[in-house]
Amino acid sequence: MIDFDQLDKLIHEKGRLSIMTLLSTRGEWAFQDLKNELGMSDGNLITHLRTLGTATYIKETRDESGTRPRTSYELTAAGRKAFKNYVEVLGEIVKAAQQT
Amino acid sequence: MSTTEAALENLRIIRSLMEKAHIYRAVSAPAALTGGVLALIASAWPVWHALTNHGEAAMCDRCFLYTWLAILAVASVLNVVLLAREATRRNQPFVSAGMRMALRAFAPPMLVGGVVGIGLIAFLHNLTLAALIWALCYGLALLGTASFSPRSLVRLGWAFVITGLLLFVAWAVNRDVDLLSSDLSPASLVMGITFGLLHVVYALAVFFSRKPAEVQPE
Repeated sequence: MIDFDQLDKLIHEKGRLSIMTLLSTRGEWAFQDLKNELGMSDGNLITHLRTLGTATYIKETRDESGTRPRTSYELTAAGRKAFKNYVEVLGEIVKAAQQT
Repeated sequence: MSTTEAALENLRIIRSLMEKAHIYRAVSAPAALTGGVLALIASAWPVWHALTNHGEAAMCDRCFLYTWLAILAVASVLNVVLLAREATRRNQPFVSAGMRMALRAFAPPMLVGGVVGIGLIAFLHNLTLAALIWALCYGLALLGTASFSPRSLVRLGWAFVITGLLLFVAWAVNRDVDLLSSDLSPASLVMGITFGLLHVVYALAVFFSRKPAEVQPE
């Protein structure tokens, strides 16, 4: 029986799941774009991004060349693999439930 | 909430966010079809007139400019209305992150194409070069959205760039066009092939490749 124990707990939290999903859709997301799309507060978003960064699931890039510094985020290879595994386990859980 | 319900809920979150974030179609197919048909009509008439009247121009240079600005306005307004309706249907804000990115990618090449093209027509009376620059800049603007656009839109961008370059080479090599009393007909031909034909083909390709709506899980 497949259950939530097999799920990556780091990604499983709704806020971090949303961040990982957006980062998986295209290369790079600016902090402001992530904030607008997810409707999170600055503090909440920073906390989740730090957690994902510590786990080396995401990479932060700071661009200081413009008038305002721009921080953007993207998935690392480890993060992409972890997200793919997470979605696969979710799919297996649903499939197993439909068969019973 | 059971394990299965929670899994379904998380899959729903993933799907909805991916739908919102992954792809942004900056040019809607019905607007492209409308613009394409208008462009074909507007370009066919000057070409037909020149062919049947020994190369005589069907309109003045400024009339050419105003005609195409009017077509641009009609197609743009329709596009904005359709994008707004799509945003409402998806329960998204009209000015979404996707639209902001599309505008950021579109603005520089469209500004260059717009200013240089209008300048060429209004002050240098070179309609064909203006039409070629419009086609190339529009193609580059579409390619600027490649990282978040559907493949059909990226192909449209490439089609504009490649067709624009081929037409430029054909125009530059064939100096017989200098013998024409006005370059309205070659300019109209460029506009018809690019903004007319390519937009119609794009719209038809989108209509025919559209998948039936997915069945939502209960």
